[in-house]
Amino acid sequence: MKSHASSTLLEVRDLEVSFQGIETVTVLSGISFSIRESETLALVGETGCGKSVVAHTIMHLLPPESRVKGAVEFKGKNLLGLNEKEMTKIRGKEIAIIFQDPSLALNPVYSIGHQLAEPLRVHQKEKKKAALSRAAIALKCMSFENFSECINYYPSWCSGGMNQRFLIAASTMLNPALLIADEPSKGLDKKCVAELETELKKLKVERKTSLLLISHDLGFVQRLANRIAVMYAGEIIELADSSSVFEKPLHPYTRGLLNSLPEKGFIPIPGFSPPLNSPPLGCRFHPRCPLREKYCIQVHPELKEIDGRAVRCFLYP
Amino acid sequence: MFSISLRADHLSKTYGTGLLSRGRCIFREVSFEIKPGTTFGLMGPSGEGKTTLGRVIAGIEKPTEGTVYYNGSPLSGIKKTVHAAFRRRVQIMFQDPSDAFNPRKTIGNSVSEVLALFKVLGTEHASKTREMLMTIGLPEEVFFRYPSQLSGGQLQRLALGRILLLEPEYIVLDEPTSALDVSVQAQILHMLKKVQAEKNIGYLLISHDEVVIRFMSESCGLLENGRLKIIN
Repeated sequence: MKSHASSTLLEVRDLEVSFQGIETVTVLSGISFSIRESETLALVGETGCGKSVVAHTIMHLLPPESRVKGAVEFKGKNLLGLNEKEMTKIRGKEIAIIFQDPSLALNPVYSIGHQLAEPLRVHQKEKKKAALSRAAIALKCMSFENFSECINYYPSWCSGGMNQRFLIAASTMLNPALLIADEPSKGLDKKCVAELETELKKLKVERKTSLLLISHDLGFVQRLANRIAVMYAGEIIELADSSSVFEKPLHPYTRGLLNSLPEKGFIPIPGFSPPLNSPPLGCRFHPRCPLREKYCIQVHPELKEIDGRAVRCFLYP
Repeated sequence: MFSISLRADHLSKTYGTGLLSRGRCIFREVSFEIKPGTTFGLMGPSGEGKTTLGRVIAGIEKPTEGTVYYNGSPLSGIKKTVHAAFRRRVQIMFQDPSDAFNPRKTIGNSVSEVLALFKVLGTEHASKTREMLMTIGLPEEVFFRYPSQLSGGQLQRLALGRILLLEPEYIVLDEPTSALDVSVQAQILHMLKKVQAEKNIGYLLISHDEVVIRFMSESCGLLENGRLKIIN
């Protein structure tokens, strides 16, 4: 039992998140996955399927009108039961997050050095000077040659790719056990994405950081992830090793998603993903599914495990 | 020589010229031609002036040197009324669909505003918008929604639909799919091709994604260091 606990870093079980407004919208339902040490799990899916909500739930960053059920266990501790004070100690130190837009995530009125030194000063109570010199070393590791100058830069002086690397440096400053990267490649051009990839790979090898990668860029995911969870309309519909998802996708949606890649000639999936306030009855993908049967419309499929992978479809009994 | 095409002739654009500064040259001596029903792809790294070139072609900005020829006649030094007609025929579609619609207006209002601006009779509004929705494949109920209630793909379809109401001959597509997911990107690209085949529209497709350009266009150019290199 103990060996199992040490190998699994984060375990999410039957997570259900809903937002309460004029009507209650269930954004996530039945989300279960786990991340082992120094493993990369990728969450992929269309915009609005709830990928970022998963990340925000783990980090306790959801708005107050949200209701969360289920369990999020990090190193054997249930994060959902913690209060804000206890969570502050974990957030940034044990679990760090890189947000979507690098230029929005950095504070425009503080220098890069100040923002990089902040986690050290907050969590480890270091003096300003010592923290700044450690920030410079961190930048050196991020392959900035003029690292002592970069300390005095402001986010608006730098390109998107540079800001993204500053953010990675800031979030990995305290050697977190788990790094959540929410669409890190969005809005970056090809050269910057390649740089980002090398940084993340280096992190995995050198510091044994586990990574929860959220992205819709499938090429990027393929190069980085060990396992992939495909999400559709607030549910995980397929969870498998990276290679088997790309070589032998099981769920019709995963197949459609792969077919719409440039390499396969941009073959689109017909229709739109359903609004989360009124998901269709039965399988949530059935209105767009080319292989639907009568019972797909009536019965909601469960996530079933076959040969070490899981899929939510009646095609695989 | 008279020809039905949209032609850029030795265009140059320099920003920030004044008494004291010589300005920064964005691109110089750029020439290419778009024929109706074909696509010219424009690619290049970010910050090389692709969007500025698109804006010059669409008549939103004036070139520092050179001229844009629309069906054989130059666009510089023409009357405002003539220019207005050109503006209707050459449209531009922007990168981020969520910025293209007024967040305080319903989609229906945003769309009919365009028809009113171009003095289309009120009696024709309903038939025109219905035909447009058929082309872009959306239900009529989207007209009662606000932009925030629709997905990026749906908004980008509506942005194209709103442009199609004006019956353009050429459309400048400025990174039409870079803000969208792969699956939605495929949908939009196929729709653009379908619309082009039906209505014989010429596209200037601006993208940093080479695969998208290859998939869509007959000829293309690479804008790098201020120069355009034509690749067939």
